[in-house]
Amino acid sequence: MNIISALELIKRQIPDGSATRKLFLACGFTPLHLATFVNAQLITLQPGRKNEIKTGLFGDLLGNVQRARLSDCDALVVLVEWSDIDPRLGIRTLGGWRVADVTSILSSADEHLNRLSEALQAAAENSPIVLSFPTLPLPPLFHGHNTQATSEQLRLRQIVASSAAHLAFSKNIRLLDSESLLEDSPFASRFDVKSEIVTGFPYSLPHAAILAGHLAALLANPTPRKGLITDLDDTLWGGILGEVGVDGVSWSLEQNTHMHGVFQQFLASLASAGILIAVASKNDPALVKKAFERKDVLISKDSIFPWEVHWNRKSDSVQRILNDWNIAPDAAVFVDDSPMEVAEVKAAFPEMECFVFPKDNLPGVWNLLKRLRNEFGKALLSEEDALRLQSLRNANVARQSSASSPNSDEFLKSAAAHMLFTSLKRKNDPRALELLNKTNQFNLNGKRLTEGEWSKYLADPSTFALLISYNDKFGPLGKIAVLLGRFAVDRIKVDYWAMSCRAFSRRIEHQCLNYLFSRNKAPEISLDFNPTDRNGPLQEFLAELHSSAPEPWVTLSRTECLERLPKLFHSVEEAIDE
Amino acid sequence: MNELEDRLIRCFDLVFHGLNPNQIRGASVQTLPAWDSLASATLVAVLEQEFNVQIDPLDLPELTSFLSAQAYISDKLNDAAGAN
Repeated sequence: MNIISALELIKRQIPDGSATRKLFLACGFTPLHLATFVNAQLITLQPGRKNEIKTGLFGDLLGNVQRARLSDCDALVVLVEWSDIDPRLGIRTLGGWRVADVTSILSSADEHLNRLSEALQAAAENSPIVLSFPTLPLPPLFHGHNTQATSEQLRLRQIVASSAAHLAFSKNIRLLDSESLLEDSPFASRFDVKSEIVTGFPYSLPHAAILAGHLAALLANPTPRKGLITDLDDTLWGGILGEVGVDGVSWSLEQNTHMHGVFQQFLASLASAGILIAVASKNDPALVKKAFERKDVLISKDSIFPWEVHWNRKSDSVQRILNDWNIAPDAAVFVDDSPMEVAEVKAAFPEMECFVFPKDNLPGVWNLLKRLRNEFGKALLSEEDALRLQSLRNANVARQSSASSPNSDEFLKSAAAHMLFTSLKRKNDPRALELLNKTNQFNLNGKRLTEGEWSKYLADPSTFALLISYNDKFGPLGKIAVLLGRFAVDRIKVDYWAMSCRAFSRRIEHQCLNYLFSRNKAPEISLDFNPTDRNGPLQEFLAELHSSAPEPWVTLSRTECLERLPKLFHSVEEAIDE
Repeated sequence: MNELEDRLIRCFDLVFHGLNPNQIRGASVQTLPAWDSLASATLVAVLEQEFNVQIDPLDLPELTSFLSAQAYISDKLNDAAGAN
């Protein structure tokens, strides 16, 4: 992206009525082209959303963060450069670079960063923050040769790193990774001395464009994919199991198959972070079972679910895996060393990201792993990440038990289900926004909220916000639904409602409506329903309770709805402040 | 309308939204409230990219209207052509 293409993107008309994201760009320099690039990069990532970018005062980063806190912005972008830590670390202030000044800079840096850190944590209570620590080179004020890292330089970097590590613990602060930025923006070409002196904008245009791209990606916080489907032969291990046998497949330096081991290790890492891993392999199931009994396999067989090991088409395997996971194709990734298999799966599921495992290309595998990490990257890990695989296995067991049970009521009664309704007004939980923004199939209207919009909704005294947890004798599903709305005299208005697909077929959605009617005497519930391409299960549910096909703004009368609800067997608990 | 003028109008249009070509031709620091120091810096970056020229900071006081920018860029391009 260059300055002309960025301005062209911004100039394009975005339809009236589109959601507007209000950003505060807080920095100590003139934001100038950075604001332009952040706006344009966000338009690229999230077209159809307008961005309104406010900026602060020159040379007052701390004050700007405090001003941003008091503004009504949805998110903050904060850039800390060396001159914000101490003006003497910039070149616009002639404050002295003597040896004694360096000592003084070091002692003030710690103190200044502590104040900034406090201001950032206070601001993060209202809005999410995307934060970048110095991206520019230090000026030549240290006593050593250019190639020497002096103790003073290292101490300064340590102070900054320590502050960054401290802030990275904050749930609402996302830090920009300097290594990732370095891959895209070479260090030597970042600083534009002419621009810094003439306009107070220190970045070269290419660096500003790239930095803005990274900031925008952090702001957009894309929904990570949920599952990875992998082949086995020449992918998870080197060699063809059916030809070389269980002891012949390898993932070692000696046999030049080491990167397969790295791939196994990577998948184990994904699985431990709650990513679903499945196998789709044309193979002999008995041999595969034996291969996974080898002690040196780096991913446990228990981390993999389901297994599709047979000689049928890969696309059929993938379909069954998606059914078991109950996720859409675009939430999964497929990896196979065979370009033909990849093409077959891609043709069947065009929305799915499919990758050829480049078995003979070591840098290619490395790049694939980095790409995959990006596909599955999550800002935060939650308890639900640890529960996901087990709850899917449990769901499978429950489905099988349900199928064998002659009476669904009987089965559900025997499940000993427990539902907990927790008010998010009392304590926000990032899982709730994640559910709302990730869920497609049971989502009332497909509307997504930014973290800022979410905070405002919760702060609105007229709203209620419930997070619903579920467990039964098959195990806990964790926090699986979110329900937001308002209680009025004549109606209960539901603005947002989303439920994880793992929670289907347990009458959780029915209990949600039953619960709302029990909490409020209003004669009806109005649902801000809108059909989307993906919310078919929600539409079917509403059709069950409504005499006609649901249309936008469904209203369910208390009498009619309660009459139509099936029998409910959950024990219900609430954690509500009132 | 010559090619230089056409390209220059496009540059101004990117920096100052909502003006028609005639308004752009008459634009100056005095007539256009949006033409502040930040807009000047953006305009310089756009002109540098569009015409592949370097604009010396000392020349900035010359760039106070569409017509002066047109003359300035024209000279720059002629100088570059002469040097080749």
